[in-house]
Amino acid sequence: MSRMKFQISNLNLYYGPTQALKDVSIDLPESSVTAFIGPSGCGKSTFLRCLNRMNDFIPRCRVDGRVLLDGTDIYAPGTDVISLRRRVGMVFQKPNPFPTSIFDNVAYGPRLHGVTDRSTLEGIVRQSLEGAALWDEVRDKLSSPALSLSGGQQQRLCIARAIAVQPEVLLMDEPTSALDPMSTARIEELVRELKTKYTVIIVTHNMQQAARISDLTAFFLLGEMVEAGPTQDIFTSPADRRTEDYITGRFG
Amino acid sequence: MTELNVRKTQDEALDRIREQLLKLGNLAQDAIRKAVWALEKQDETLSREVLEGDDVLDALASEIEEGCLLFTARFQPVAQDLRTISAINRMAIDLERIGDLGVSIAKITRFFFGKTLIKPLIDIPRMAAIVEEMIDGTLRAFINRDVEEAKRVCAMDDMLDDLDRQIFNELLLLMIENPRVIEQATQLVLVSRALERAGDHTTNLAEKTIYMVTGKHVKASDFRRKREE
Repeated sequence: MSRMKFQISNLNLYYGPTQALKDVSIDLPESSVTAFIGPSGCGKSTFLRCLNRMNDFIPRCRVDGRVLLDGTDIYAPGTDVISLRRRVGMVFQKPNPFPTSIFDNVAYGPRLHGVTDRSTLEGIVRQSLEGAALWDEVRDKLSSPALSLSGGQQQRLCIARAIAVQPEVLLMDEPTSALDPMSTARIEELVRELKTKYTVIIVTHNMQQAARISDLTAFFLLGEMVEAGPTQDIFTSPADRRTEDYITGRFG
Repeated sequence: MTELNVRKTQDEALDRIREQLLKLGNLAQDAIRKAVWALEKQDETLSREVLEGDDVLDALASEIEEGCLLFTARFQPVAQDLRTISAINRMAIDLERIGDLGVSIAKITRFFFGKTLIKPLIDIPRMAAIVEEMIDGTLRAFINRDVEEAKRVCAMDDMLDDLDRQIFNELLLLMIENPRVIEQATQLVLVSRALERAGDHTTNLAEKTIYMVTGKHVKASDFRRKREE
């Protein structure tokens, strides 16, 4: 068994009086892809956002329980949240490049973290774009506006932007739901490659996608984590009736 | 939650394939039953029916295979659906083989037409009845998702093995006593062996049914009498 990157125990999350996550405990192994599945509103995206404290931005949102990243509680007082988010990067459902050039999009993070040397930045931009399988398509137009790229390219640009700060974990919230099948296939292929370097955690509504790309799958329902295990087991013989009903389309 | 049945099309498609498998099961049973009757009654028409019926059986088996592929492509089944479609796919192959064994028996039957049997047939029809009952049992187990019934079918295979051995020994004695019966006796041994193999295919059907229900791969031998090596 590989080393655990995240160890989450008894995590509860409340939006005001509403409890959105109930006593979630799960360990996420390093250098692997974990998929979170479940119907809309089940808490999977909320849970994903707990892993780099994105929920901090939501007013009246309260979290208790433990989230250990490499053994350290990220909710402990005094945690440097900026540095946490550098270590735990995120890619969102809709590609959201900045309205600047392709180069500046990728260089944004490193600049924020103090890299100013042009040739160092150029190196990082190139590596990140290569890592996101976009380099060959944009190498000749790095100064073009990022918004001139296609949706699939924009999403890969966002992945390049996320990996430019060399995170350890990549959180992906339905990264292909706005993309066509070809772009989806490219991102999926990319995720498989990324996991050799990063721990990838992905929320997806596309069950076959979870089956294709993840090593582990966790099923959420009504704020609870119903079942988690090797993806192969979840999709051939789930242990819980509710998982079975969801993945076979009986509800959800 | 609204009660819109989003699985209607998928469930109907699966039901259709299930029905086809049952039909194939019945055809395989018919093939075995008719072939052994043809032997018993020296009925040439019945024997020809089995031979001609094989095309129908093969066509249906192909249709099921095609249906399973199409179902997989259209619905990308998982969990129980996936196990069911995979079980059906495998079961169709075994049923088709059972049908082929019926054909083998029907072909052997032709050798006996117009000849006096060296002995009255008792155990071979018994074997055929057991095979038929076993197929019945697996189809029931498949439809009712009944693991216990499937295990019982596996256990029944012991009876077939016993009869096969008994028939062989008996015929061997006859052949030693009277070499002139060797030709007929050899053919009867082949019939017995075909029925024994049909039983083996039926235990495969039972294994697949158990996998479909439980998600666990089992061996039919686990539910049979333990053999001292």
